Amino acid sequence: MKDFLRQNGILLLVIALLASILIGICTFVLSGEADPLSNIVNTVTAPVRGGIAAAADWVEGAYAYVFHRGELEDELDALRRQVGELQEKVRQGEEASRENDQLRDLLGLQARRRDFVFEAAKVTARSTANWESTLTLSKGSTAGIEAGDCVVTQTGVLVGVVAETGLNWSTVSTIINTETEIGGIVTRTYSAGVLEGDFALMNEGKLKLNYLPEGAQLVSGDEVLTSGRGEVFPSGLEVGRVEGVFTDPSGQTRYAVVTPSVALDSLIEVFVIKDFEIVE
Amino acid sequence: MTRRDFIRKWLVYALGLLPVWLLDAYILPRYPLYGASPMLLPLAAAAVAVLEGAYSGTGFGLGVGLLWELAYPGGFGGLVFFLALAGMAMGAVSQYALSQSFPGCFICSAGVVGLLELLRVARGLLTNAAPLSALLEAAAPEFLWSLAWTPLVWLLFRYIYNRVGGTKLA
Repeated sequence: MKDFLRQNGILLLVIALLASILIGICTFVLSGEADPLSNIVNTVTAPVRGGIAAAADWVEGAYAYVFHRGELEDELDALRRQVGELQEKVRQGEEASRENDQLRDLLGLQARRRDFVFEAAKVTARSTANWESTLTLSKGSTAGIEAGDCVVTQTGVLVGVVAETGLNWSTVSTIINTETEIGGIVTRTYSAGVLEGDFALMNEGKLKLNYLPEGAQLVSGDEVLTSGRGEVFPSGLEVGRVEGVFTDPSGQTRYAVVTPSVALDSLIEVFVIKDFEIVE
Repeated sequence: MTRRDFIRKWLVYALGLLPVWLLDAYILPRYPLYGASPMLLPLAAAAVAVLEGAYSGTGFGLGVGLLWELAYPGGFGGLVFFLALAGMAMGAVSQYALSQSFPGCFICSAGVVGLLELLRVARGLLTNAAPLSALLEAAAPEFLWSLAWTPLVWLLFRYIYNRVGGTKLA
């Protein structure tokens, strides 16, 4: 301790305190955007992150190939069958779409259409703590990504919302993260609520649909989509399925536990919706 | 010790921190054990503080805190001061009350990781994030899983200390 005082240890503590305050102020002022120092560190380390993610994916792939080859072949067969079925459905869908267009014209209804502008990005890192669920993506503000943009899978399943952007990286708060709050709707009953991450459910990979209307008759397996209320997030994005309906400990409100459709642990590539519009 | 020796010594410590950080940030979170990923950075700060004493522990804690705040998402700055303060405390405790050995490092690591977990639980309670039981369910496995990595981190930094630590380069 004598050495500590003799060597100006107090000065080091003061520097640490000032650095803490500076970072705190930057975080507060640049809400949604990375502070300049974080931006530099994460920009510089982006290739390292990408390299490690690629190496780990390769090792996992090699492991799966060596030890699960039989399963992979079975899965490939199943996928081929599925592709055949989906191609058939696409053909049917195209026919239905054409018929639908004709009916719209006939009825004089204006078609509602959303134009999504996508940006593909790789998942380079996952949550580094047990207190949050976040993903780090390989693209950032230089690719036009902004805080608040929705992130989906290639099949349009909601992954989360961009929380912070740097030059060539961005952080996504996943749908199960406690900071997530998005309008949701149950398609079968049109019951609207607010999709919120819950700390206890986060570790189980689930989230809550809160503020359900009185009398909403939800059942297990009901599909939940984003409602698009407030026009902050696009509507119609698949979120997951209702697992069960519970009453709040206060006894005043009911909420549904939703199991997300997205497998957050195995995401490799995602798509950021940079822009969307609703044409009435 | 000349300035050149001083820089060389801390460059080697920084190099030692590199694999710990890569493990902590990018590799271990991919393979959580019972849903928990360990925190290795406070263990590194504890190991160096125990080996090098209060002054160097403060400086290394400051560096580790900066790395934690800048390279990880969701920071608000507090960890820089916390780890610098913890480095000073652990260095002083190991010099006067414990010993510069693995048991001393283990006790210091348990102290700093435990305190971090308590602060997070307290923050969770203050912000009504979840009931106490749920917060403890997240904190306890993280605490235990982190401590399980103490021997590895200790061995790494003791190896560095044996090569360049203290005034060996002087």
